[in-house]
Amino acid sequence: MSAAVSAMRHVRGFDPAKPFGLGMVILLMLPLVLLPLASIFIFGMKDGMRSFWVALSAPDAVFALKLSVVTSFYATLFNVVFGILAAYVLSRYTFFGRTAIIVTISLPTAIPTAVAGFALLLLWGKYGMIGRFISEDHQLMFTPYAIILANIFVTFPLAFGVLMSVFETMDRSLEEASATIGATRWQTFWHVTLPSLRGAIVTGALLTFARAIGEFGSTILVSGNLAGSTQTAPLYIFAKFNEGQVEAANAVAIVLALFSFAIFSVLFFARDWIEGK
Amino acid sequence: MLPEKVTDDSGTTRDERARRGDARAAAAASSPADAPAASVRGLSKSFKGVRVLEDVSFDVAEGEALVLLGASGSGKTTILRVLAGLERPDSGSVHLHGRDVTDLPARERGVGVIFQSYALFPRMTVEQNVGYGLRIRGRKRRDVKEKVESLLELVHLVDQRKKLPAQLSGGQQQRVAIARTLAYEPQMLLFDEPFGALDAQIRVRLRREIRALLRDVNVPALFITHDQEEALELGDRIAVLHSGHLEQIGTPEEVYNRPETEYVATFLGAANLLLGVVARGNRVELGTVAVEAGSEAGRFQVGQSVKLVFRPEDVRVSKTGELPADCNPLANGVVEEKHFVGAYERLSVRLDLVARAPRPGEPPLYEISETPERRLGVPVIVTRTKSETSAAPLRVGDRVTLCLTIFRVLPNFPLASERGGRVIDTQK
Repeated sequence: MSAAVSAMRHVRGFDPAKPFGLGMVILLMLPLVLLPLASIFIFGMKDGMRSFWVALSAPDAVFALKLSVVTSFYATLFNVVFGILAAYVLSRYTFFGRTAIIVTISLPTAIPTAVAGFALLLLWGKYGMIGRFISEDHQLMFTPYAIILANIFVTFPLAFGVLMSVFETMDRSLEEASATIGATRWQTFWHVTLPSLRGAIVTGALLTFARAIGEFGSTILVSGNLAGSTQTAPLYIFAKFNEGQVEAANAVAIVLALFSFAIFSVLFFARDWIEGK
Repeated sequence: MLPEKVTDDSGTTRDERARRGDARAAAAASSPADAPAASVRGLSKSFKGVRVLEDVSFDVAEGEALVLLGASGSGKTTILRVLAGLERPDSGSVHLHGRDVTDLPARERGVGVIFQSYALFPRMTVEQNVGYGLRIRGRKRRDVKEKVESLLELVHLVDQRKKLPAQLSGGQQQRVAIARTLAYEPQMLLFDEPFGALDAQIRVRLRREIRALLRDVNVPALFITHDQEEALELGDRIAVLHSGHLEQIGTPEEVYNRPETEYVATFLGAANLLLGVVARGNRVELGTVAVEAGSEAGRFQVGQSVKLVFRPEDVRVSKTGELPADCNPLANGVVEEKHFVGAYERLSVRLDLVARAPRPGEPPLYEISETPERRLGVPVIVTRTKSETSAAPLRVGDRVTLCLTIFRVLPNFPLASERGGRVIDTQK
């Protein structure tokens, strides 16, 4: 940011773009971002902390938040482990179909989440192409597993993208040095490659988690949206709002917003720490 | 240590190379004691259809330091990577201490590579970096500690042991990189442009340090550089590479004083090149002048087109016409330019010889100036030491006689890419 500012120093005199541009940005940001966010907190606190706690400690609310955290956690775990594997293979080897695989992995970013959920449902549902071969007791859809599946579908490109770019720009001589010193592939990966990936792993995991915990479009289709069973936090907000229980919806919304703030702060302010500087 | 006799494989055919396959098996069976530390035979390699190595062969003797010298793109880095096992040659073989390692992966070769960037592990301390090779080999913690301790002493880095690589200077990082490879007692050390990333002043100091260190540990080493001064100082022998082909290999004195090709002559230091023709009586005719060239000219047939090659410092200049003994008279000339360049004086002398016009297809070697007065003659560069300068000061315009103490006569090929009877297809 400072680089961009100093880059303008060569221009002398009054630049009307500065006050006008800044004014526009602030004017737009206020009703679009800042005021809506502020309003959740203002609305949530209008009857004091007590009513907020009451709304938040409703069993269904607690369950929904827990379910969101747990499913997001598993999706994150999957993304990191398989994201590393995929990025490793795709950055280290060239083979026929490599580009096709990269495109396929990245494709879900461009697919509307509702379409993603619908597609999963068609494939894995009771009468779906795969789902029809699964017995009644082991159906995947409308269970927490379906939520994890949908989360992975939607978020895997995020983690993969972060990891892949680090793999591709990594200084290969470190790995080569390790090999000439006598390390096996696994030793090199463990002692040399993985430590260089630390920043990418943390970033990828946080991005996945932030995205997964707020996922709505795909989860509402595949989860079944059963309160206390397969209802995640965003679904809870939607359901309670529809029922007219605005306070209940708002309490969970505050928690989700705080989660996002926390993750965003880590990504934004702790960048040096993440990258190990 | 004595330079190894080097087999020149430049003329071998495919059949001969196939027969060498049997020789390879025999070499592996013979006792490794008398085998060179490293032996490279008939190495060829192409990247995406571009030839980067062309039948390169050389040996590195036990305890010897060999420098591969070449411009960027000459294939020197590829040779290092093939030796290290990081690259597979298209053909040819690599032997380390008599063992065929051509198909062995990098980690089983026991070769130490000091990368240009040093490639130190950024999140490990100096100690951990040096001990890495031992830890992955599962050595006992105490043994690792002891060995690391002694290595850090060897490279004078005991005080820096807890630091991270980023906290060290370039020279210190390089010493960590060397200690890291010495930890597992490598069969050979490979240095990739070891001083490329350092300041000119530090460079000179470090290369002396490394030279001394190598003498201490007595491990054969291969250096890669494009810096001729570095090559002359570091190497027991120098191998000059040009576009994937080994031009010449020999001691620094041999390569510098007796260049075998025009490329070697011009790449290692400055050289004057004069186009001539071999005449009867072992003489070389340069326009209207004939130089007594003795055995140098005797290697060629009468009438063959050649180049007379000599270095600026091998020319003696005399105003009186008296020349020292064992100095071959060249021609008379006029001092055209005089420059003071620190340690010596550089003169440009225009020789009184009507240049022979190049034959069709021959490259023009020197310009005959096209100024209005159309002066005839050929300029050559002469350097003189301070003592020579003060003994016989010269001014621009002085008429002088020149003679040569050391010179070579080399064949003149119509194309620069054609040498030694082999043609490198430049279309590839």
